[in-house]
Amino acid sequence: MTSTATIGRVLRAPVGVVRSSPKLAGGLIVLALLVLASLSSPLVSRAIGHGSDPVAVAAYERWLVPSPAHPLGTDQLGRDVLSMIIGSMSTSLQIGAIAGVISTAIGVVVAFLAGYLGGWVDAVLSTFTGILLVIPTFPLLIALSAYAKEVTLFQVGLMLSIFSWPFAAKIIRSQVLSLRTRPYVELAKVSKAGAMEVIVTELLPNLAPFIGVGFASAALGAIFGLVGLEVIGLGPSGVIDLGHIIYSAISTGALTLGAWPMFVVPIGLLTLLFAALNMVNIGLEEVYNPRLRSER
Amino acid sequence: MTSMATTRADDRKSPPDPVPAARAVGVRSVLARHPLVAYAVRRFGLYLIEMWGALTIAFFFFRLIPGDPIQTFIQTLQQNYVYNVQASAEVIARYQHEFGLDGNIFVQYLHHMKKLIIDHDFGPSLINYPTPAQDVIMQSLPWTIGLLGISAVIAWVAGLGAGAVAGWRRGKPGAEVATNLAIMLGHVPFYFVALILVYVFAYSLGWLPARSAYDSNIPVAFSPQFIGSVLQHGILPAASIVIIGIFNWLLSTRMLMIPVLGEDYLLYAEAKGLRPGDILTRYALRNCYLPQVTAFGLSLGFIFNGNVLVEQLFNYPGLGSTLVTAIQQLDFNTILAVTDMAIISVLTINLILDLVLPFLDPRVKYWG
Repeated sequence: MTSTATIGRVLRAPVGVVRSSPKLAGGLIVLALLVLASLSSPLVSRAIGHGSDPVAVAAYERWLVPSPAHPLGTDQLGRDVLSMIIGSMSTSLQIGAIAGVISTAIGVVVAFLAGYLGGWVDAVLSTFTGILLVIPTFPLLIALSAYAKEVTLFQVGLMLSIFSWPFAAKIIRSQVLSLRTRPYVELAKVSKAGAMEVIVTELLPNLAPFIGVGFASAALGAIFGLVGLEVIGLGPSGVIDLGHIIYSAISTGALTLGAWPMFVVPIGLLTLLFAALNMVNIGLEEVYNPRLRSER
Repeated sequence: MTSMATTRADDRKSPPDPVPAARAVGVRSVLARHPLVAYAVRRFGLYLIEMWGALTIAFFFFRLIPGDPIQTFIQTLQQNYVYNVQASAEVIARYQHEFGLDGNIFVQYLHHMKKLIIDHDFGPSLINYPTPAQDVIMQSLPWTIGLLGISAVIAWVAGLGAGAVAGWRRGKPGAEVATNLAIMLGHVPFYFVALILVYVFAYSLGWLPARSAYDSNIPVAFSPQFIGSVLQHGILPAASIVIIGIFNWLLSTRMLMIPVLGEDYLLYAEAKGLRPGDILTRYALRNCYLPQVTAFGLSLGFIFNGNVLVEQLFNYPGLGSTLVTAIQQLDFNTILAVTDMAIISVLTINLILDLVLPFLDPRVKYWG
């Protein structure tokens, strides 16, 4: 098999998968819309601020009610809530992407080592993964973030992926185990293909959907983790995500002041994001396990 | 590693051999003849390894965090008691010994494990010195167990029922709406729901209290007023956990139900003329609820994660609030005690479930 054919196969498979599942397609569309919205952050800022920075402190009156000039009103420091939310949404998405990529990469390596080599390597790695899964991660995250002040976005992502890779590893390992005894893998081994070659050409393309599921769960876990930290006010101080806006809504009394956009909109957006990633997850699982599909 | 445990467990557990001639010497043959014992021994060995690993990781994780708890403690003393004397080296050394912070980190680790295993002691708490950390936890534990335990069980039972019905009536509009709603909301963190509930019911409508676990004007006693106040304050946090929990259990139960629904014995039950409700509960659900028992045991650990947030939000005096305060004050003994207790309880629940499941469901075979 030539390398171009392999790449073609790897690329063609996802298109077919997306076509066959409305849930997957729906989830991806919502996800794309959210990414687009967060990318439009500079445009929104310019439209609202008319050249000046709408999220600068005291840019406007404090606690303005929603109006055409400020569709979601302003916050306790006179910042425009809409531009703040759009900007912090891109932070949330970036955290998800960074932590998702790191955890999936670790998960894939661990899963392949465990699933493919088997024996004591598998025993040690699986036990270790299992141990990390029973440790309550939230206390550890709180502890980490309480002392990790002034960190970069990448460092936060790295911190969050320490705790989300075991999920990815578990999902992928179980699939590696079921795939490695399939006839075509045996055939490849008999025809003297090296371990690396078998993994790259035979296993990886067929594992793509499960790697996708692992990525989506890890990204979800990381966004959830950071929002959780921010909501109780223990988030890393260098990063402002959607959870931070929810936190400032709670701590400044936006709930009692009736400034509902400050927490309803971030919660709505995060719920949409969770729903989209979840639809992608369930969609991918359904495609590869037709018994789960609902009858139409 | 498990050979010691194996010998001991065999002496106790294996029944007298009915065929004396076949009595072979050695652990291996006994295990071969009693697969259930072998399974139990192996499972218990894994339990000990996992326990040791998780407790060790937790210990080193928290000890490697920078910060000097003794310095923090002495500063707090100075602020609270206007204790203006500079702490002498002896005083610091005495407190370090008291809190298990003397020697290098491996000495501390051995000390911690010894106290944990032999004395069941987590050392004194820093925030409430000299109260032992476990006593501090015991004050907040009942609140957490009361709030979480009850809501988790309600969510599990209701979710199982809803999932069974959603699977049974799949394709029908009502069931599909519920399923899609569950897909959308099943993984939403429950403090989102909590926030919306607080906004609507506590601030907009003013029906229910938004903070703390009981009305501080009512004396803490076993009186109807006090219990009523506790229940009233518990409604909103419990509701947020129950709502999301039901969606989660609905989804997973439905996924377990659907493959079962195609089975022949259900067709047979239908042909016998049994009522659909009976078929659903006694034939279909009976065959798929056990994995959910295991999942419930596992979920208790994850509830602990989200619970910290709900307790912070409602200012509820449970384990989560204690933990956050402890972390802010570098109270290592309390932090470790909370984490260790969560680890021990999740692992123990899983062990019990794994050992009991083969007796509940004859199809479960982990051995042989």
